[in-house]
Amino acid sequence: MKEQIESILAAAKERIAQAPDENELQKVRSEIVGKQGTLTMLLKELPKVDPAERPEMGKLLNLAKNQVTELIDEKRTDLKLKASEVSPDFDCSVPGVMPRNGGLHPITQMCYDLNDAFRSMGFEVFQEDDITSEMYAFDKLNFPQNHPARESMDTYWLEGHDNGPTNEKLCLRPHLTGGSVRYMQTHKPPYRFVYPGRVYRNETTDAHHERAFFQYEALIVDKDITFTSGKVLIKSILSKVFGTDVPVRMRSGFFPFVEPGFEIDMQCQVCGGKGCSVCKHVGWIEVMPGGSPHPNVLRAAGLDPDEYTGFYVNIGLDRLVMMRYGVDDVRLFHSGDLRFLSQFR
Amino acid sequence: MKLSLSWIKDYVELPEDADLKQLAYDLTMDTVEVEDVEYIGRRFDNMVVGVITAVNPHPNADKLRVCTVDLGEEEPKEIVCGGINLAVGMKVAVAVPGAMVRWHGEGEPVEIKKSKLRGVESYGMICASDEIGLGDLLPAKEEAEIVDLSAFDAPAGTPIADALDLNDVLLEIDNKSMTNRPDLWGHYGIAREIAALYKLPMKKIEPVAIDAKSDFKVEIADIDRCPRYIGVEMNGVCVKPSPFAMQSRIWRVGMRPINALVDITNYVMLATGNPTHAFDADNIKDHIVVRRAEEGENLLLLNGKELALCNDDLVITDAEGPVALAGVMGGAKDSILPKTTRVILEVANFESTGIRRTALRYDNRTEASSRYEKAIDPERCDQALALSLQYFREFYPELQIVGYCDRYEKKLERAEIDVNLDWLARRLGKHLTNEDIRAKLEILGFDVAIDGDNMHVIAPTWRSTGDISIKDDVMEEVARMYGYDHFEATPFETSFTGAINQKEIDLVRNIKEYLAIRCGMQEIYTYPWMNDVFVNAVMQSTDGMLRLSTPPAPDLSYLRSSLLPNLCEAVVKNERYFTEFSIFEEAQVFTDADYTSPYDATESLPKQRRNIAAAVASATKSVNELFREVKGALEYMPRYTHMESFTFRKDVKPVWADTVVWQNIYRGDVKIGDIGLVAKKVSMDCGIKNLTVLVFEIDTTLLKPLISRTNKFTHLAEYPTTDYDISMLFDSAATWEEIKAVIAIKENGPVKKADFVDEYRGKQIPAGKKSVTIRLTIGSNEKTLTSEEIENAAGSVMKQLSKRLGAELRTQ
Repeated sequence: MKEQIESILAAAKERIAQAPDENELQKVRSEIVGKQGTLTMLLKELPKVDPAERPEMGKLLNLAKNQVTELIDEKRTDLKLKASEVSPDFDCSVPGVMPRNGGLHPITQMCYDLNDAFRSMGFEVFQEDDITSEMYAFDKLNFPQNHPARESMDTYWLEGHDNGPTNEKLCLRPHLTGGSVRYMQTHKPPYRFVYPGRVYRNETTDAHHERAFFQYEALIVDKDITFTSGKVLIKSILSKVFGTDVPVRMRSGFFPFVEPGFEIDMQCQVCGGKGCSVCKHVGWIEVMPGGSPHPNVLRAAGLDPDEYTGFYVNIGLDRLVMMRYGVDDVRLFHSGDLRFLSQFR
Repeated sequence: MKLSLSWIKDYVELPEDADLKQLAYDLTMDTVEVEDVEYIGRRFDNMVVGVITAVNPHPNADKLRVCTVDLGEEEPKEIVCGGINLAVGMKVAVAVPGAMVRWHGEGEPVEIKKSKLRGVESYGMICASDEIGLGDLLPAKEEAEIVDLSAFDAPAGTPIADALDLNDVLLEIDNKSMTNRPDLWGHYGIAREIAALYKLPMKKIEPVAIDAKSDFKVEIADIDRCPRYIGVEMNGVCVKPSPFAMQSRIWRVGMRPINALVDITNYVMLATGNPTHAFDADNIKDHIVVRRAEEGENLLLLNGKELALCNDDLVITDAEGPVALAGVMGGAKDSILPKTTRVILEVANFESTGIRRTALRYDNRTEASSRYEKAIDPERCDQALALSLQYFREFYPELQIVGYCDRYEKKLERAEIDVNLDWLARRLGKHLTNEDIRAKLEILGFDVAIDGDNMHVIAPTWRSTGDISIKDDVMEEVARMYGYDHFEATPFETSFTGAINQKEIDLVRNIKEYLAIRCGMQEIYTYPWMNDVFVNAVMQSTDGMLRLSTPPAPDLSYLRSSLLPNLCEAVVKNERYFTEFSIFEEAQVFTDADYTSPYDATESLPKQRRNIAAAVASATKSVNELFREVKGALEYMPRYTHMESFTFRKDVKPVWADTVVWQNIYRGDVKIGDIGLVAKKVSMDCGIKNLTVLVFEIDTTLLKPLISRTNKFTHLAEYPTTDYDISMLFDSAATWEEIKAVIAIKENGPVKKADFVDEYRGKQIPAGKKSVTIRLTIGSNEKTLTSEEIENAAGSVMKQLSKRLGAELRTQ
């Protein structure tokens, strides 16, 4: 019987050690120490054993039984620690949970990107009020009285402030440049600043035209700046926005507040300049006006135009954001529609 | 503005093989923006002249005919047509398969295909003029009339573009890009610019001398408003069509041919840029006087408008009164009529701003006024007169000039400008030789004299009406003739004097990033004007608001004095798609008050503040949860964004707020904003359906950024602290503020902190009471406290709360 016990015990040890899971352990337990288990059966046969050997065999059997039970318990603990806490069919391919909703408006993001770029070049960020006078919207920018150019920017006038001399007529600013004059009046040259803001035009809206839109003005004024320095400003903006050097060209353009004035085109980023429907098949897209501030504008700001000159660009942020993401309707920016805004995080 | 290339070629010797793409590019880069180059002939691709050889009835349709048409090919073709004027021998325009036509002149162009019409095979289409875009040039006299090309000398099969001599190119120029260049309005001016750009010879329109002895008189009463007026009285004219070539050119650039007399005046305007006018001489009594209108004087215009004039208007008058609104439009009385046989031709120069004022005053802008208002040089009258007479004489061989008067009262001074050559080189960032500069300017018509460092420039008359007036204008001319693309980008040199430090600007950005990133809110932008519905619902009064005089819509006239109305509108819009969201906006707000003159003493601007407002909306969360969420965003904002902290108290209830759930927000003693629950009535009036909405609004101009981060390092506790929660029953009206005041925290005492955990009113709580759970942090700076000491510390807090606020320990 002793041999039998030893062989059962050895086999049990082996099975327990190799047991891959709880099921096998249960099986070992019932086959060896369960009601019909091999050791239990031996125990039942004990009365048949020679009485002289009986106490020893009984002891051996009990020891073996205990040992098997202990080994099973040990192995069970061991299996538990090594096993996963969850069932093996846990699905790791389910999507994660979004951290938190919320984000900045895509135009704010663009504006901050540009602010960071210009700050790194030593430009200040300027901010001005939305309501201005006709004097600052037009007079100080060298728009002659009764000049058709005043009409090119249909302006929202304020009730009760829409008549009288230009210093008394108030409007929602039709552009930012009048505010730049205010900056120059209250700061000492040389100037390096950017001026983001919203401007307003009284026009009919469609997918490409808005009544309220964002401009980003950059102005540098110093002694002996040539207009060709302006190309550096333009390239800084575009390379920041598009991440690569974008070819630009400056061509003759007319704006009363600059002399010389330019229309600045960038290579169409959709077709790479080959010509497509986006760029009306010319390969270039008009992105911003620019030029040297007109001597009358510098004078209005209290500077001597013989001494100072500079360069100015004014870029439409809505248009840039539209190009950055492929947005096809400018009116979405003011829609407050979270289905749209939540795409830009 | 549309320009015809063949017309331009009348005045400049542009080579036949000129590269048009390059021409458009060069004009765009150096002068004006060419928006489009159109080959007119391509409109008539797959359209040919056909000669009808037979007209037979259609077996299945009364109104249709089956025509046999010779298209110049071996076999004639059968074409089904419903035209009313079909006749054998007639020359017609046939659109063959592939042509694009507009059915009955309406809708989008469609492609012609071989097809069966009511069972009969038809090869193509015999066209009416408006079906192939010729409605204005060859107008049909009645409906379903086929265009008759019999008068054109072209055999069957000739492409329509060849037959009608329409193989021309149109340059479409962006008008905005030439506002400052009145000299370019007209084919002659553009030709002059092209001649300069390419150094090509001009075919000038030379002035003509007129020798007509007569007592025909013109008087100018206001020479500032009318520097020059030429009147030519002519006999021997009549109303008849002008030659097709002239009609065709007028039509190409977008005007409509009328009759020879009117066509000549329009043609001359399109050619030279100088408007001209023809009066029926029989309707002009005595002589012409150009004067300012008298207040209230009446004038019936050619277009039927009856005007009551004012003294600022300039009029052409005869002995009986005004006959035309100078530079804008002729009157009904003097206009050309079918019986006209004698005309007075007006070739005049009017001052720009006056014309503009009058045209705008009567909302009556015309081709003439839009040219005059750009400031035309009076010398141009010479070319306009010469060209006019050329055509009058050509069209009316019997013409007699019976009267002529040229009043040139106010000569235009050519602009003279001194330019320092050193300055020029510095501004260009490039040194050009004197000869180079001279050549670039002289080709544009400038006279140039160089003396040492000074260049004396005299601008041509056509650039002297304001366009060229300062040395920067001269610099621009040199630069553009050199070519902007040929200048290299020059880096600018600057001196750095210190780091940029803009606390206020940075603070607003920090707050926006805090709300978006930490608080999970989405930034939105809305318009500065508000919808009346939301103004009434949220603000409940329009007192002190500014208003637009011409708003985008009648109910969008008020400018926002608060961001909340538009924020509520955004809540309504988004409620369609979301049950829980939070949004914020940062923008300017306006009130009709506190006017100041920060920049110019004569200017007076209202105080404009910038606010930040947020709305947190949910269909499921409780008011309590939402309130704490919004308040938390505000309470932690100063720490995270580095500004002076806020306090909250109840002083003045915001109009939009619920009667209970609101607080005012303070920085020190300054009220900076409000927080609260949008009242049920307000919410309903806005159209919010199921959402509970909590909002706050603060004035960012009243915030104070810290000059540096001010929090100090705190030593880590040496001995452990214990969190100890107590739940007590308080009077239902007791506030956390009162409770917190009782648990006075002393620096060396065992109670280090007391935090609000939650409060509860409900079944197990007696009426008029609430249970508040408070978490005490208990510890010592000197030792580890025993549990007895901890119990004692908590016990003394509870004792104080019982004594001072009547709180009872919750038994359960």
